[in-house]
Amino acid sequence: MNSSMITAAVSMNALQQKLDMLADNIANSNTVGYKRKTSVFEDILTTLSPQQQDFSQPGRRTPLGLVQGWGARLSSMQLDLSQGMLQQTGSMTDVAIEGNGLFEVRTDGTLDGAPSFTRHGSFQLVSTGGGDRMLITNSGYPVVAQDGGVDGFIVVPEGYNLTIEADGTLRGIGPTGSTPIELGKLKIMQATKPELLQSISDNLYGVPENVNIADVVTDVTQLPAEELGISVRQGFVENSNVNLTDEMTDLMIVQRAYQLSARALSSSDEMMGMANNLRG
Amino acid sequence: MLRGLYTAASGLTTQQRRHEAITNNIANINTPGFKGTNTVSRTFPDMLLSAMGGPEGTVKPIGKLSTGVFAEENLLSLIQGDLQETFRSQDIALFSDILVPGAVFDGSGKFVDENGAITYQPQALFSILTPEGEERYTRNGSFKTASDGTLLTSDGMRVLGVDGQPIRVNISWDNVSVTAGGALVNHATGLPLEGEPQLRIMRVDNPNLLIREGDGRFRYDGDAAGLRQITADDRVEVRQGFLERSNVDTAQAAVDLMSALRAYEANQRVIQFYDRSLDKAANDIGRV
Repeated sequence: MNSSMITAAVSMNALQQKLDMLADNIANSNTVGYKRKTSVFEDILTTLSPQQQDFSQPGRRTPLGLVQGWGARLSSMQLDLSQGMLQQTGSMTDVAIEGNGLFEVRTDGTLDGAPSFTRHGSFQLVSTGGGDRMLITNSGYPVVAQDGGVDGFIVVPEGYNLTIEADGTLRGIGPTGSTPIELGKLKIMQATKPELLQSISDNLYGVPENVNIADVVTDVTQLPAEELGISVRQGFVENSNVNLTDEMTDLMIVQRAYQLSARALSSSDEMMGMANNLRG
Repeated sequence: MLRGLYTAASGLTTQQRRHEAITNNIANINTPGFKGTNTVSRTFPDMLLSAMGGPEGTVKPIGKLSTGVFAEENLLSLIQGDLQETFRSQDIALFSDILVPGAVFDGSGKFVDENGAITYQPQALFSILTPEGEERYTRNGSFKTASDGTLLTSDGMRVLGVDGQPIRVNISWDNVSVTAGGALVNHATGLPLEGEPQLRIMRVDNPNLLIREGDGRFRYDGDAAGLRQITADDRVEVRQGFLERSNVDTAQAAVDLMSALRAYEANQRVIQFYDRSLDKAANDIGRV
């Protein structure tokens, strides 16, 4: 078998995967809070065909054996958690984080469930009955806050407006003359090992089941926000951190590499054709 | 039997080996830290041909003939790849231009003195540990962190520090800076991290003794004297936030691919010609 053919096909597969990833990034270049994915290639499986002692001739520069590689694969996909641009929306339930922090939400709607994390801060207030309203993400997952060190959902009583301060403190502002009520503090998690965060649907990130959550994210809600460089902006959303120029450049590089691999594939096909037609 | 038939057949195999090596280079034009290979061919040992049965039974030498070619070795080209900025704190590139007194290296990293002795340019590589506990070397500095803070290569091998132990970082990598010498320091204060971790970077005097194992790893197959940790005198620089691109030249690879293909074709033609000669010998000569 002509192994050039296998090598070229394998690497075209890997390039296709990279292309899929770039397409995902480009498709989400306008998604609020989206973080671009990056990946690197790696060469695979090298074989060392043994050579007999007679092959050790004067002038030879490497140890015995013929080393042969078998193409490339995409080795690890990583999240680039760098800051996206903030955009003012004027909506008081839009919240953006500046700095390395994540909102915590619960996809199953109960506090006992596994936490998920997101930067997608375009929240909404929905009625929970009786005039109270709860802060949820635009996919309907309740946002978690801390009140006195205890996790809870954010419920704004009837007649009050929600304000969020730069350190995440939540207050309900009532009609003129009434005292504002304390509603806790937005729970902010800092990703210490972003490569262990797993992208799940709806722009959320989760922690794989076999990994301890505390190893991946740390709770920084009660720490002084200024020292960590984190601030929460009400009335803003964070745009996607995808830079179209970079993605297009990558796209071109991948496309050219794909073309070259395809060329190698067709030339190895020609070689096989020649071998088949040895007898004319 | 016609000798050249087998010579041409060995040419086919050799060109195929070349083609395979070039295809693998092309497959890895986007692999960080990848080093391309060049296939070196060698002729079969020479045979001495003699004409027997001359006048009075003499033997007259005709000359030497070699009856084939084979792909002898795939030589690594360890020249520096371009550095690409990625802004990722765990992407670390090595820039190595180690000098040897009295040697002026050419583009392929070797120097031949007036007596014909060859000196190869030493190269620097990161040191990593396989799950079996063996030390390997790599130029792919796209690292990541395990859940316990251990620094890993992109396929999960532990990255070694100067003390021979895997590097562990317990703070977020956003706060870690890597100095040009490979020491890990706190980004804000500039002070060394707990345990003073420093990347173990090895200098290999003869890079031809490195054997590729796949996944960006190399095994060193030489004596211990040719392998040591870099010192401050070696011209090696560690760059954080960069990746070293593959050193494969795409234009050259495309040309080599074509040349291997056409050389294969030429050999195929030669076989066909021999086939026709044999056809003549078997079927036409002696036809009544």
